[in-house]
Amino acid sequence: MRHFLVMTTFAALAAVVFGTVAKDSNRERVVYGLKVFAEFMVIGLVLAWILYFLPF
Amino acid sequence: MSKADSERTTSDTAPARAWLMGIVAWLIPGLGHLLQGRWVRAILLGGAVWICFISGFLMGGHLFKYSGSEPGSSSLLQIPPMVGDLGIGLPYIVCWLRDFGFSYPTEQAALPTFEYGWTFLLIAGLLNYLAMLDAFDIAAGRKS
Repeated sequence: MRHFLVMTTFAALAAVVFGTVAKDSNRERVVYGLKVFAEFMVIGLVLAWILYFLPF
Repeated sequence: MSKADSERTTSDTAPARAWLMGIVAWLIPGLGHLLQGRWVRAILLGGAVWICFISGFLMGGHLFKYSGSEPGSSSLLQIPPMVGDLGIGLPYIVCWLRDFGFSYPTEQAALPTFEYGWTFLLIAGLLNYLAMLDAFDIAAGRKS
């Protein structure tokens, strides 16, 4: 649970910064920030499951 | 001069104020936007960077610096993370001057969040580089 919380915190902080510095309108920034957050979470979980099954 | 030429001239030559804002934004996360009246951006960017930095220390992380004490060229491996940590600006310099946060006892290294800690500190610096470039671009008129 602790690891998931840390990953979520990291994804949220990075998404806030990425969303703020990118795009032109506020709506685009919010959408981009949410997209970045979702990408970090999904890719993190996928990588975690892949690494879980690796024997080393 | 057409409007396009005028805009190109504005974006090609950054004024001294833009460099100043970039340096201020690097030194103190959030201040570069605050001085330009971008309150929301200052809170979002500065807040995210500061939370990341403080969380890193709370998780038991440590900062990197080039010590030259490693054998051979191994010391060179300390330079990339040091450059990342340096992105946080003044807090890194203060830590370096006070020799705080660079060394870690064995108990700290045994913490389950130890690796997360130094990663958060590194990410805080890298995110602040992005915030610094954003403050520079706003001051140079390249961004609204």
